[in-house]
Amino acid sequence: MIYRWTTILRASLPILTIGVGIEMFAGHLLQSGQNTLLLFPIFFITIPVINSVAGNIGSILGARLASGLHVGTIEVDFKDATLRENLMTAVFLGILTYFILAIGIYFMVSFLGVDVGIGPMEFVFIMVGSGAILICVIALASVLTALWTFKKGLDPDDMVAPVVTILGDTLGIAFLFVFIGVVLL
Amino acid sequence: MFAREMVKQSLPLLLLCGIGAILTGHVFSSMSVLFQPESSSFIPGLIVVIPAIIAMRGNVSTAMGSRLGSAYHLGIINESNMWNQELKQNILGSLSLSFLMSFIIGLLAFGTSSLLGVQPHFVELILIVLLAGTFSGIVLSLLTVGIVYMVFKRGYDPDNITGPALATFGDIITILSILGSALLVGGLV
Repeated sequence: MIYRWTTILRASLPILTIGVGIEMFAGHLLQSGQNTLLLFPIFFITIPVINSVAGNIGSILGARLASGLHVGTIEVDFKDATLRENLMTAVFLGILTYFILAIGIYFMVSFLGVDVGIGPMEFVFIMVGSGAILICVIALASVLTALWTFKKGLDPDDMVAPVVTILGDTLGIAFLFVFIGVVLL
Repeated sequence: MFAREMVKQSLPLLLLCGIGAILTGHVFSSMSVLFQPESSSFIPGLIVVIPAIIAMRGNVSTAMGSRLGSAYHLGIINESNMWNQELKQNILGSLSLSFLMSFIIGLLAFGTSSLLGVQPHFVELILIVLLAGTFSGIVLSLLTVGIVYMVFKRGYDPDNITGPALATFGDIITILSILGSALLVGGLV
C-alpha cells in the first residue's frame, strides 16, 4: 500500500497550516479593501476568477510535473526541455484564459444591467494585466516547488497545490488592488 | 508538441471553471451584508475566514485528485479497480485533514481579528468554520471519486482535468456551505 491516511495528514498539515495562516492575510486584505470593492462591485466577481484560474493552472502544471517526475520522463533540472515546454504552455494558457473571461465577465455584468462604473478597455486591462503578472509568478513557483519537493524525497502532489493556491489568493488580491489603484483611483 | 494536448484538454475546462468562479463571486458579493459592521446581521470575522476556507478546501481536494492521478500513472488504481484500500486511505486522509484544518482556521481568524481590533464571537466563528469545512469536505470527497472515475472511463489524463474541476466545484460548494453555516449558526447564537 502506497497511501496511508496518517501519512497524508502528516505531510499536509504543516504546509496547510502555514497556508491558511497566509490566507488570513488575504482575508484581512479583503476586509480593508472592502470599500473599494463596494464602489466597483464587478471586482467582487473578478476576485474568485483571478485566484482560481491561477490556482488551477498552477495545479495542472504541478500535477503534470509530479507525474513526469514519478514516471521518469522529466528530469530534476530546470533546463529540461519537457519542463520548459510545460512552463511556457501554462503561462500562455493563463493569459488566454484571463482574456476570454475578462470579456465574458464584462459583457455578462453589463447585460444584467449592473452599473459597472468603468469602460471595457479599462476592465480588460486591469484583469488581464494583474492576471498575466500573477500567472508568471505562479507557474515559476509551481516548477520550483515540484523540483524542490521531489529532490527532497517528498511527494510533489501533496505540496504544489497548496503553494500555488496560497500564492494565487494573496498575490491575486494584492495585484488586483494595485492595478485598480493605478488605473481608477 | 507534447504540451499542446494540455491546452486542448484544459482550456475548455478552465473556461467552464471560470464560469464557476464567476458564480462564486456572485454569491460572495451577495454576502456583503454579513460583512458590514452597520448591518444587523453582521458576523465579525466572517470575511477574514472566506479565502482560508476556500483555499483549504481546494488544496485538500486537488491534492487528493493529484495523488489519484499519480496512482493512475503508477497503475495502482484504474476504472475497474477503484474502491481499493489506496482510495479509502486517500478519502480518510482528506476528511480528517478538512476537520482539523477548519478548527485551525477558526482559531487563527479569531486570534488575528482580535489583535486587529475586530472582536468575533468565539463559539459562533468556530462553529461556522467547522460546519462549512466538514460539510463541504464530505461532499467534495465523494465528488472527487466520481470525477476521477469519469476521467478514467473516457481515457483522459486525470492530471489535466481533476485539479480545475475540483477547484471550481469546490469553490461553489464551499461558498454556499459558508453562507448556509453562517445563516444557520448566526440565527442560533
